[in-house]
Amino acid sequence: MEPDCKRRKTAEPNDPSGWEVLPVLSERESQGVTLMPVYVAPVLDKKEACRVVKEVSAVYPLGDHPHLKRIRACVSPNSPHPLEIILCLASSRQEQDGLRSLSELFPSGQVDLRGLGEPFLALVPVHPPLTRPQYEEAASHWPVTFHENKRITQAISGSLFTPLEKAAMQKHMELAIQVAEQGAKKGMKPVGAVVVDPISGRVLAVGHDCRDGFNPLLHATMVCIDLVAHSQGGGAYCYKDYPACTFLELDHQSDRSSSSGNGIPYICTGYDMYLTREPCAMCAMALVHSRIERVFYGVPSPHGALGTKFHIHSRKDLNHRYEVFRGVLEGRCWSLTQVPVLKESVRDSP
Amino acid sequence: MAELVALPKAEEEATEREEGGVTPAETEAWMDRALAMAKEALENGEVPVGCLMVFNNEVIGKGKNEVNETKNATRHAEMVAIDQARDWCHQHKKELEEVFLHTVLYVTVEPCIMCAAALRLMKIPLVVYGCQNERFGGCGSVLDISSATLTDMGEPFQCKVGYRSEEAVEMLKTFYRQENPNAPKSKVRKKTALSDEVSEVQ
Repeated sequence: MEPDCKRRKTAEPNDPSGWEVLPVLSERESQGVTLMPVYVAPVLDKKEACRVVKEVSAVYPLGDHPHLKRIRACVSPNSPHPLEIILCLASSRQEQDGLRSLSELFPSGQVDLRGLGEPFLALVPVHPPLTRPQYEEAASHWPVTFHENKRITQAISGSLFTPLEKAAMQKHMELAIQVAEQGAKKGMKPVGAVVVDPISGRVLAVGHDCRDGFNPLLHATMVCIDLVAHSQGGGAYCYKDYPACTFLELDHQSDRSSSSGNGIPYICTGYDMYLTREPCAMCAMALVHSRIERVFYGVPSPHGALGTKFHIHSRKDLNHRYEVFRGVLEGRCWSLTQVPVLKESVRDSP
Repeated sequence: MAELVALPKAEEEATEREEGGVTPAETEAWMDRALAMAKEALENGEVPVGCLMVFNNEVIGKGKNEVNETKNATRHAEMVAIDQARDWCHQHKKELEEVFLHTVLYVTVEPCIMCAAALRLMKIPLVVYGCQNERFGGCGSVLDISSATLTDMGEPFQCKVGYRSEEAVEMLKTFYRQENPNAPKSKVRKKTALSDEVSEVQ
């Protein structure tokens, strides 16, 4: 597993705190390579290759699969023919019908079949590779083009963030852990959340899970989204029983003069959220609605919606996407999930 | 609390739910009311979604979108209605679960992914809705949160779909055709704000 070795090499030296920020990629980016059958023929005469590619491509363009290279040099140096060419896609039905001959695949004679050997079926990657591991897997089946996303590569190798940025992340996650512990003392699930404006570095809201109080939907994320709303002069819930849930009173007057528009940001646009554990589907979608910029969480959850069970942050069919990283203070966040909750008598809301 | 009819027995409830939970007449009556609420919202320039939570033939929660007034993007009609139903439980000194397990949600549009997850967490057994929510739907359109197997995420719920869906869709289309005055600041928004100020000065 070459990519793994590489990752370890780069991650170890600059990792004194014992945790690593890992990107949670989209489903398409993190999944393995899917393959489909195509008809391939050997090119027996190398001199015919250029003409054959032109003629075959005219009859069967691979329009939906531009990442596939039409021709490949043979894998084995002992091979009797030097090149192989993709003729056309083979549907699964054709696969059942078995092999077809060259004359069946090119019945109308638009292609001069000189120099081509008997067709056979091969499996090639359906989608263009998005990450280097996917590229390596895809290319082992058939040559493909790869437009590397430098940002993703950097993220995977752990070099996306500077030590200074990592120190800030650690500070914010420590705050999330601290508030989770305060919540646990009140009999709540030990989950904490912090919202930060990454431009100013200001902490805008700090909240813990309140679901075991009066409202089963007050997960830490929902609490923090509402605390940000309070800081903007809105909000839906009162937290007087939970003094650890706090928000920064924004100075609207000065903000108004400093920025364009009405000065108050639109919900959580541009903000980062730190969460001790991966949020559920309700919370992950609430963050889509709130236009969060990035989410950092400590440990995955069995029902998590940002990488484990769903990838709600990276769906093309939703109207907002955000970046997700996991692993920030992973060890301490893991210990936090093991904190026994003090079961107080179930409180009725006042 | 004394005059409230006793809850149906567990077995009766189970058979009732297998048959769809609600009669067509109930569906029509409550959905007509939900649609009237959505229409009212549209006329007031708000997202045209109406919903009702019905327990023992009584409306214990109803909601309209409160995103703009609370500056909280999670205040969808369903979330507001759930809060009202929770308040109703506290007022009537009833356990949440005992009530929500026998409550039906009537809503004009398929709940979004967030609301579908919330309905699971509240253990609502049945949701009757009008039209699909192609942009955010959590009952099959984008994701199927309603029937997915999810640990620690309440219980799956049943859906009954389609009553007066064309009208619900039409209202949404009308709403989205309008300029959304509450969208994040854009040039259009700034211009309007400015012209408002100007007209105020004048």
